[in-house]
Order: sequence, then C-alpha cells, then structure tokens
Amino acid sequence: MVFTANETELVIKAQNGDRNAFSELVHLHAQGVLNVIYRMCGDVQVAEDAAQETFVQAWLHLPSFRSQASLRNWLYRIGVNAATDMLRKQKRILPNALEDLQLKDPQLGPEALFSQGERTALVRKAVLSLPEASRAVLVLREYEGLSYHEIADALDIPIGTVMSRLNYARSLLRSGLEGQLFLKMEAEHV
Amino acid sequence: MSKHVTEWLNAYLDDELRGSRFHHVKAHLAECKVCQAELGALERLSGLLHEIPAPEYTSPERFAAQVNLRLPHQKTAASGKKILEIAWWMIPVGLLGIWIFMSTSFLVSDILSTANSLGLLTSVSDWLAFGSSSNAYWSATLGQIGILSGNSLDWAASTEAFTRTSLPQISLQVSVALLYLSWIAIWWARRRHQEHGQLLES
Repeated sequence: MVFTANETELVIKAQNGDRNAFSELVHLHAQGVLNVIYRMCGDVQVAEDAAQETFVQAWLHLPSFRSQASLRNWLYRIGVNAATDMLRKQKRILPNALEDLQLKDPQLGPEALFSQGERTALVRKAVLSLPEASRAVLVLREYEGLSYHEIADALDIPIGTVMSRLNYARSLLRSGLEGQLFLKMEAEHV
Repeated sequence: MSKHVTEWLNAYLDDELRGSRFHHVKAHLAECKVCQAELGALERLSGLLHEIPAPEYTSPERFAAQVNLRLPHQKTAASGKKILEIAWWMIPVGLLGIWIFMSTSFLVSDILSTANSLGLLTSVSDWLAFGSSSNAYWSATLGQIGILSGNSLDWAASTEAFTRTSLPQISLQVSVALLYLSWIAIWWARRRHQEHGQLLES
C-alpha cells in the first residue's frame, strides 16, 4: 500500500493529540479493520466492538508508531489481537464446519446441497474453524490482498511462517470441504 | 519430468514466486497433470472464499464518531512517554553542555598558560605567575640537558604546556563521546524494542 503524504500528515497531527486528524484516520481504515476482524470472528457486533477497541488502542499507542511504517498493517495487527482477545473473553464457540457438512443429507442432490447461500455458509464456517494464527494469515491474504511481506510485517512473524500458516490453512480448508463441497466443484469443472 | 512442485503452488498462486523458482514451477506445471490439478483446486478454493460477502457495517462516519466518544480525554500514556523521552534526551544534552563548558575552560586556561610562558602576560596579576614559573622550570630543565637553547626554549615550554593541558582534554572528550554514543545506542535499542513488542504483548 502506498503511504500517502496526507496520511503521514494526519498521523503526525494525531500523534500530537489532534482528535480530528485521528477521526479522519479512523474513517480511512475503518472498513479494512472491520473486515479483518469480522473474517476472524464471524460476528458483526463482535467485530464492531473489537474494531472500536482497536482504534482506542491505536490512539493510546500512536506516539510510539513510526511514521515511516504502514499504518494499515499496524492497525491490522492490533485488530487481529483485539479480535482474538474478544473471542477469548466471550468464550465464543465457533461452529464446526465439518460436523455441519456431515449432517447434510446426500440424497438431496448437489443443487440442494450447494445452493449459493448454503455454500457460502459452509465455507464461512470452515474458515472460522481454522486455528486463529492460520486464520489471521488467510484472512489478510485472501480478503485484504496483502503480500506475504506485508502479512509478515502486520503480524510480526517471519515470511516462512506466513507461508507455512497459509499452506496449513488452505490444506485444512480443502480437507474439510473436499468430501462434500469441494470435490463436487472439481467434478463440475472437469 | 521433474519432482512435483506442490509445496510452491500456494506461493505461485499468490504471485509470490520470483526468478528461477517461478520459471521452474511454471515449466513443471506445463507438463504435470498432478500439479495442474493441485493448482486448480487451490484456485477453486480461493474462488469459494471470495464468495463470502462482507456484511453491512455501521457507516464509517458513525463508526468514527463512536470511536471518538470512547477515546480517553487525555493521552496519559502519550504524555508519560513524552516526559520519559525528554529525560532520555536531556541527560546526554546535559553531558554535552558540561563537556563544552570544561573544554572551553581548558582552552582558555591553555591559551593563557601559553601566552604567559611566551612572556605576553608579564603584567597580569600574580596568579598567572605561578604557571609561568612552572613552565620556566621545565624550559630551564630541558635547556640544562642541552636539548633546547635560546628561542627554542620558549617553543619547548609552550609545547610542553600545551601537551600537559591537552592530554587530559582529549581523554575527557573521548570518554564523553563514548558515553554519549552508548547512551544513544541504548535509547535507540529501547525505542525499537518498545515499537515492536508493545502491541503484541496484549
């Protein structure tokens, strides 16, 4: 992401206590942070609470933020931590996609099984059943389009770890979905 | 056919491979049905993930207003950090000030001592005469052993006076410089540690 001069100025102003400048930064990055947190926790209300907490934490720690670094990546890091904390506090039990898949009646046929709504619901649940560390990498890559280097920067992990977590997340998703949904999709494409 | 490249297919799909690795994977994919199928499966998985729509969130304006209401009225953490940061800067700046003061004092003393030894300050007050007699002693001693004579004695006396006062100065300057650089290095390392570790602790 290109770090615009305007954003740099806003960051400097906000670091000096300018609330209006910080509000503009919130406005700029709210959508991205909300998306990341929502993909992490799967609940809009939880995502909005965690996103608000993310920006409060960002405000408190903004003086220690280096203006040369990517604000977006920094906010994503706080957001992922906030989402994880929020989920742990609420002891939210994420749905198990595999169990849901096995409850489906195979006699219904692929059209009934794999309607658009159902398919997205199953995939969403499968994503939410991933381990948090792998899910965070997958979300940043697939939904926010961050490069491996940017993910490594955002989560403060080595690029090798980014690759292994991403491979692990995708292989878990494939193994979870392939028995029902995924192989059917493959068959349709062949 | 070369060995399967399944371990690199994720990076290939994400356009993260460069150089020879990229060309190797691309060439292998052109002829390997197994790896082609793997890549196709990954592409379909990515397509499925992108089918999940984003929900309707609170509008950015409203969200920013809500965040603004939750912000603490005073940035206590920030002001505490600023005080600490000022302290970290004031200590080396103070040391520099002391060093400048001492260097100036030594320099003035050195100039006066040298001028006195050359007889330029014969009419000044008595306390300068003590330095002059000391330098005269050394000049006389060197002259006695036949090393110096005539005008050279004056030169030797001034050189001796300069060396006697400069050596402690140089030592002091080196010590202060090392101390200052160490301080800056510790401050820099501490700042970097805070930046990288602070938010991960939560």
